[in-house]
Amino acid sequence: MSTPVSEPLNKPLSAAASKSRRRPLRFPWLLVYAIGYLIFLYLPVLLLPLFSFNDGTIVAFPMKGFTLKWYAQLGEQDTLLQAMVNSLIVGAVTALVATSLGLFAARAYVRYRFRGRELSEGLVMLPLVIPGIIVASSMLVLFISLGLKPSLTTVILGHVFVALPFAVSIMKSAFDDFDQSLEEAAFDLGESVIGTFRRVTLPIVAPGIVASLLVTFTVSFDEFVLAFFLSGNQPTLPVYIWSQIRFPAKLPNTLALGSLLLLASVLLLLTAEYFRRRSAKSA
Amino acid sequence: MTTQNIIEISGVEKRFGTFTAVRDLNLTLKEGEFFSLLGPSGCGKTTALRMIAGFQDHDAGSIRIGGQDMAHIPANKRPTNMVFQSYAIFPHLNVGDNVAFGLRKLKLGKAETDDRVAEALEMVELGGLQSRKATELSGGQRQRVALARALVMRPKVLLLDEPLSALDKNLREAMQFEMRRLQQKLGITFVMVTHDQYEAMTMSDRIGVMFKGQLKQVDKPEVLYARPCSQEVAAFIGGMNFLDAAVTGEVNGKLHADVQGFGPLSIDVNPNVARRGPQLLAGIRPEQLEISAQKPDGYDGYLQGTVTNAAFYGENVHYHVTADGLPQPIAVSVPNYFHTVDHKQGDPVWLGVQNASVIDLGAREA
Repeated sequence: MSTPVSEPLNKPLSAAASKSRRRPLRFPWLLVYAIGYLIFLYLPVLLLPLFSFNDGTIVAFPMKGFTLKWYAQLGEQDTLLQAMVNSLIVGAVTALVATSLGLFAARAYVRYRFRGRELSEGLVMLPLVIPGIIVASSMLVLFISLGLKPSLTTVILGHVFVALPFAVSIMKSAFDDFDQSLEEAAFDLGESVIGTFRRVTLPIVAPGIVASLLVTFTVSFDEFVLAFFLSGNQPTLPVYIWSQIRFPAKLPNTLALGSLLLLASVLLLLTAEYFRRRSAKSA
Repeated sequence: MTTQNIIEISGVEKRFGTFTAVRDLNLTLKEGEFFSLLGPSGCGKTTALRMIAGFQDHDAGSIRIGGQDMAHIPANKRPTNMVFQSYAIFPHLNVGDNVAFGLRKLKLGKAETDDRVAEALEMVELGGLQSRKATELSGGQRQRVALARALVMRPKVLLLDEPLSALDKNLREAMQFEMRRLQQKLGITFVMVTHDQYEAMTMSDRIGVMFKGQLKQVDKPEVLYARPCSQEVAAFIGGMNFLDAAVTGEVNGKLHADVQGFGPLSIDVNPNVARRGPQLLAGIRPEQLEISAQKPDGYDGYLQGTVTNAAFYGENVHYHVTADGLPQPIAVSVPNYFHTVDHKQGDPVWLGVQNASVIDLGAREA
């Protein structure tokens, strides 16, 4: 009597067990490839922090000894600090402007169907694929013919242009899962259009805004070509670093600075990713 | 008791490009009425509701709420509030702040705001849940919060867009009764949009049936069921057997007609019928037919046929019966009294029908 009852119960169990059993081991080509790829990608980057602790000015193996003096010297260099301040200003203003523009553009792209929407979306994303050198030289020509001297302002204008695609795509993903009836509900409950934006739209897309601010800041902070062309006598940090590389004695300082920037960039992007995920989850 | 008209809609039309979503909508709703707009998806019922709410402008005609013309008055200035299909609970606010959202704009002061929120939550049986996070609510609770958030504004009209479609079956049925009870207690006019005929019938005082942008019939649920105005309305609400009939005469409001399969019957003239033609279409509800192995006594029309299908539905048993000359089988529904399926596929059976069970549906539609 028990056999016919237990059989159908056992069958799916044993089937599941055999499915989860490991397949015979073969040489893991895919794993080797993946590890090789990662080494190729990140090992050069890791050399930077490694040599920033090397007690010698020549960047070559074998290394001499451990030192922190290159880091300690950073604080004494006024032009470097000024370049750092320039970069922070440019990054902050770029992030604010690009994110505000991206916020409104993304809301329009996600929410409304209007003539020319796809064309406009394509144009906004174009800076991602135009070579920086072309953008930079044409902007320089444009600004000079407009009578605008190269300065931090022109760098900011250029950086907003290249940061906008990032801001728009981050804000679009924040708006994608945003239920339109939330705004309608707020409006229906007597709130004004602006009040609805302030009390409902902004708080819900806030994590996306934070993510966009961080990413666009990083884009601007790391950008070299545009800054090189448009900064005039107010160099941003990457432009300053490039100018220092010509002096071998200054190279270890540059390595130390580069390592710090690398660390800051990674931290910023991790924070941005955290907020981006949170915005996707809450919507 | 005098009941006033709360909503007066006349000649309203809405076009999207070349597509007319709603045409010539005329509707008057009384204060304290529970009204449902029923129709298949894409029939314009949601557009009609959104025009009442103020989310969409009408292209022609007029909408008056409480005697006031609503032209160019946006949703945030109208005496209506809406329960959305998705409930639109603000995810960044807790239950109390969700319900208080509209009250904040009225600047009532903290004490009165808190009192009204507490009262509204009590009303939907969520008392004391003010600090619960919006993300921690179940589907049924979200629906209740959406109701409380709209009702706390004390609207003249509460608009409900498919309010129960996101809930599972048992919860949906429980909420049907609860919302009906709430509406009767508050005496507020409810206008609900639904594609679910049972939902519309169990909850509403009156139902408006819409097809292709047009309101076809407005009636009490019983009247809509017993005297539908056309074939399409009859087909949309409940089951219906459609049979062609040849009219042989009309005496004292009764049509004498030879009904396909059942022979000569006397049918009450249906005053709601929209369209007449040379041929008559007769309708018989599946549950109005008697099915029996022997010829049953006391019926006005009979049909002898064969069972082609028998299906057990729990509360009743459905049969399909064919006979020579019938274009399609006749559906019969019998209450399940004795937990048996009395007739098997292939069994010969008799069907019996009373004159009063045959519905005059006017002309057949293409």
